[in-house]
Amino acid sequence: MPHLDLNNRQLVFKIVYFGPGMSGKTTNLLFIHKKIFDKYKGDMVILDTEEERTLFFDFFPVSLGTVQGFSLKIHLYTIPGQVFYEASRRIILEGADGVVFVADSCIERFDDNVDMYRRMTTNLGSYGVDPTSFPIVLQYNKRDYDEVIPLGQLEAILELPDDLPVTESIATSGKGVMRTLQLISKEVIRNFQLDGSA
Amino acid sequence: MNESVVTGSNGASINETLARLVEKTEALTALLISRHGICLGQAGGGARLNATALAALVAGMFSATKEVANIVGEEQFSILLQQGKKRHIHISLIGEKSMMVIVFEEYSRIGRVRLEAKKCSSTLVRLVNQDRKDQEQAIQDISIPDFKEYALNLIDRIFVIGEEEDASP
Ligand SMILES: Nc1nc2c(ncn2[C@@H]2O[C@H](COP(=O)(O)OP(=O)(O)OP(=O)(O)O)[C@@H](O)[C@H]2O)c(=O)[nH]1
Ligand SMILES: [Mg+2]
Repeated sequence: MPHLDLNNRQLVFKIVYFGPGMSGKTTNLLFIHKKIFDKYKGDMVILDTEEERTLFFDFFPVSLGTVQGFSLKIHLYTIPGQVFYEASRRIILEGADGVVFVADSCIERFDDNVDMYRRMTTNLGSYGVDPTSFPIVLQYNKRDYDEVIPLGQLEAILELPDDLPVTESIATSGKGVMRTLQLISKEVIRNFQLDGSA
Repeated sequence: MNESVVTGSNGASINETLARLVEKTEALTALLISRHGICLGQAGGGARLNATALAALVAGMFSATKEVANIVGEEQFSILLQQGKKRHIHISLIGEKSMMVIVFEEYSRIGRVRLEAKKCSSTLVRLVNQDRKDQEQAIQDISIPDFKEYALNLIDRIFVIGEEEDASP
């Protein structure tokens, strides 16, 4: 898969926020957009329904600066979590260099998280990506709920690798959001190699 | 943000090709966009556009159209035309990996737009491929360890973890 775009001497990495409906993907992006200084970010594009459910995607670009003559950018996307938007999710996931899986910590949403994670690995697989060696950060969001899914449970049922980075967050207040973004961005950079596949 | 300033050796000729097309069609602007939503070149200042956002949207639109095409038993619709009150856009596939967006105002010029878009299509395909080769060469010169270290520093600096971490829920 193409890990970067070589045109115009810019390296563009694509990070996608994936997860079940209402888990807080858009809320993550909104917080990040608010938090980053103007000079580093572009406008946010939000394609949603009247009920503020993501219809196609949310998007905004971040310019990190110039590294060895290449302008380094990160494009952040969210997918629509509602089950029937499968086709749109596939489109947005294509060409991703890393994924944040935003899980909903609400106990009743356990199966939805598992189902959506499996959909994600299937989609990645269809693009020839091996999900076990691909940058993924698992974010347990909505940690402010009284009863939450204990850490480790999703990893166990999904048989995720031990070294998979996991974070806890409350996207509405921003807690854990920038930490998650840092983790996934660094995973993506560390994973970057010149394999000529772009 | 300062977007899509083309500096590459062949990037200039992508822009030149687009500039000639803008001139001939009297379009407001023309952009070349990669399938993954990245702006590869632009010409014409007639419309102040957010090229980055436009690129992401058009790429999404084109992929969606491809899925629609598959559903109705077509491989791909090679041209998309959107007619507005004052402005119109003509989007065409450029090879497999990119597309060209032309924004214009006089709808009666559609014939000309269509013709010129078709005429410069093969030139653009060639330039995009050439550009990619040049860049692959250029990127070999990057020192990966240095690149990574510097990039990781930028991430620490720009994705700042702030006081929200201490805020109680
Ligand atoms: N209590 C609580 N609510 C949250 C948290 N994060 C998001 N929400 C709320 O959950 C709802 C859904 O959030 P969104 O960010 O729109 O969810 P999404 O994942 O983008 O949903 P789709 O676009 O439908 O896939 C909103 O009302 C948010 O305010 C959180 O950490 N705690
Ligand atoms: Mg959303």
